Amino acid sequence: MVVLKVHDIECAYGSAKVLNGLTFAIARGGFTGVIGPNGSGKSTVLRCISRVLKPVRGSVLLDEHNLYGLSTLETARKMAVVPQETAVNFSFTVEEVVLMGRSPYLGRFQAEGKKDYEIVARAMELTDTGYLADRLITAISGGERQKVIIARALAQEPEIILLDEPTSHLDINHQIEILNLLQRLNREAGLTVVSVFHDLNLAAQYCKDLILMQRGKIFSLGKPGAVLTAGIIKKVYGADVLVKKHPVTGRPTVMPLARVQPENKPRGRVHVVCGGGEGAAMLELLVEYGYEVTAGVINAGDIDWETAGLLGIETAEEVPFSLISNKSHAENIRLIKSADACIMVSIPFGRGNLKNLEALALARDWGKPVLVVEERDIGERDFTGGQAGLMYNELKKKGAVVFKDKHELLRRLKYLI
Amino acid sequence: MNAYDKVWRWKALVGILVLVLGLTVVFCTTIGPAPVGFVEVLTILLRKLPWLGDFVPRGDWPESYETIVFQMRLARVILAVLVGAGLAASGVVLQGLLQNPMADPYILGISSGAALGATVAMLFNIGSQVLGMYAVPLCAFLGGVITTFSVYNLSRTGNRVSMPTLLLAGIAMGALLSSVTSYVMIMGGRDIHQVVFWIMGGFSGRGWEHVRVLLPYVITGFVVIYFYAQKLNVILMGEEQAQHLGVDVERLKQIMLGAATLSAAAAVAVSGIIGFVGLIIPHAVRLLIGPDHRVLFPASALVGAIFLTLADALARVAAAPQEIPVGIITALCGGPFFIYLLRKRPYH
Repeated sequence: MVVLKVHDIECAYGSAKVLNGLTFAIARGGFTGVIGPNGSGKSTVLRCISRVLKPVRGSVLLDEHNLYGLSTLETARKMAVVPQETAVNFSFTVEEVVLMGRSPYLGRFQAEGKKDYEIVARAMELTDTGYLADRLITAISGGERQKVIIARALAQEPEIILLDEPTSHLDINHQIEILNLLQRLNREAGLTVVSVFHDLNLAAQYCKDLILMQRGKIFSLGKPGAVLTAGIIKKVYGADVLVKKHPVTGRPTVMPLARVQPENKPRGRVHVVCGGGEGAAMLELLVEYGYEVTAGVINAGDIDWETAGLLGIETAEEVPFSLISNKSHAENIRLIKSADACIMVSIPFGRGNLKNLEALALARDWGKPVLVVEERDIGERDFTGGQAGLMYNELKKKGAVVFKDKHELLRRLKYLI
Repeated sequence: MNAYDKVWRWKALVGILVLVLGLTVVFCTTIGPAPVGFVEVLTILLRKLPWLGDFVPRGDWPESYETIVFQMRLARVILAVLVGAGLAASGVVLQGLLQNPMADPYILGISSGAALGATVAMLFNIGSQVLGMYAVPLCAFLGGVITTFSVYNLSRTGNRVSMPTLLLAGIAMGALLSSVTSYVMIMGGRDIHQVVFWIMGGFSGRGWEHVRVLLPYVITGFVVIYFYAQKLNVILMGEEQAQHLGVDVERLKQIMLGAATLSAAAAVAVSGIIGFVGLIIPHAVRLLIGPDHRVLFPASALVGAIFLTLADALARVAAAPQEIPVGIITALCGGPFFIYLLRKRPYH
């Protein structure tokens, strides 16, 4: 069931249009994150749905009532808002601040009653702020204060709670504590949560749905996995990122890639022979440096294979735990042919991947530079009874350049292409 | 803490302050050349109470004592009570609305507007034929109210009033009007002494008619402020948060500014510009009992009343038979006390 329904709204500050034609709905029990670059209007969305900034066009329905037709008091009984930060100049105690959450229910001349105190006590218990009750709001830390403000919001007994980057001023421990708290309230008490997020990873971890804003419009809307892709982030934020699945939660995790200035960008196509996770770092570095990268032959499912997939690298692949077949060998050779240089990382050799050494020998025969990272001696990683060692040394004789370290290799690479 | 404990503590505090105020009034009424004692004043006053008064026996004092108490002394004491309460209450409201503990009733230009109004009335005898002794209070009242109203409208954009703008507009308007007042004084020439005395503030020569002028404003103001005291707490969390907690912020601002302005302007109109009460009393009381307006407001009003009544008594006796303007006393006593409080409890 829908709690909040926004239809085709347009918001403006003076003559500057900030939101333009937004339509979305928040389901009861939802946990929705609003994300987007600075100035994309995400905080304005929150102001608009919290009855602060009236849209010049369109409608906002709270429980099927026109939000801007409700009184301030009626709204406060259904909806609570937690700002980014609360500065208080007056020394109320924490309990007094949480009691203000009961304000929409108090009559004139009326002090808070037994029921109000019970509700406040429960809100403080849920937010783990009971121990602060008699402390002054001016004398507690920012993280504690934010929890107190959330307790105050809960004391309003709202159906929906709106938060504007509630953790952006806090340390990681408080961020996690507060978001875990919201998640628990969402799951156990069925509280509907809508929050603006600055941090894409926190948004991805905690939200059931995301609304991605760009220049006052919704760019994308849906599950975190669908909204947070490297392509979409590149389009909206203009940033190069790597999106991986969180190893524990399976949610998307966004990692920045260092951007190389275009004028320094090396040009060239490099083929990497890797596998078993030895090549993942090299693949990422090459992509970061701006090379066009291919890889092979890798067994599907291993870490190098997964990394290549994430980075969009064309790969000659083989089914897991199998010898390199003629077909994938041919594919590998095709990729080598079109590369300007080949790199081999310190992979171990068994009978299964000997064909990789053959392919590189061909590359030398065609006069292509072959660069080898030798972090460990070949003797330590030869599991073929000496055959791999022979072929490896043969390759060196044919003029493969050996580096002890991959950064050293990367520094030299641009001169060899 | 239990809810009922809190409310009882509030009631007890206000009760004690009412009692102290009563005793202060009686005490200050005893001050003067004729030796009317504490018990005599108390008895005379109690006998005037409806119903209860019938049970109080009359003592054996001269008939003239009652005349002295009612005709000569009590009006002035009551006026000090009302002005003290009005200024302190107005200070509480403005400090809350502006979220600035340094605000006072004069910050929006009431004092400078009233001073100009009073100066013009005194120096040019405006309306004195028609209004008589009400000419100066009326002009002062109008000066104060019109100034605040203009300041309010200057800081308004559409339906919203920004509090920082209001503060700045008040200061600018105050400076402007003060210079006009100075100019008028220089040009007006001969009655300048009277104007200076008025501006310093005091209760010399005031009587029941002044009490009658002031009383309705103070009572109305108090009822309105008390009505909205809890909302005033919420606004201390910031205007946007207050709105999210169900307060109609713009309406509250209008109502509260109206109530505070009328109380303060009426107080200034009858007594001149008595400084410091509206600033330090709310501040000091807040330091002692906390910022909850449901108790801060009545307690400040009562403490303001007690303080100003005592200050006026001191003004009468300190250099008798010469009278000192009470504004000098308030600043002289209030300043050091305030500094002491600040040092004792660091204020956030």
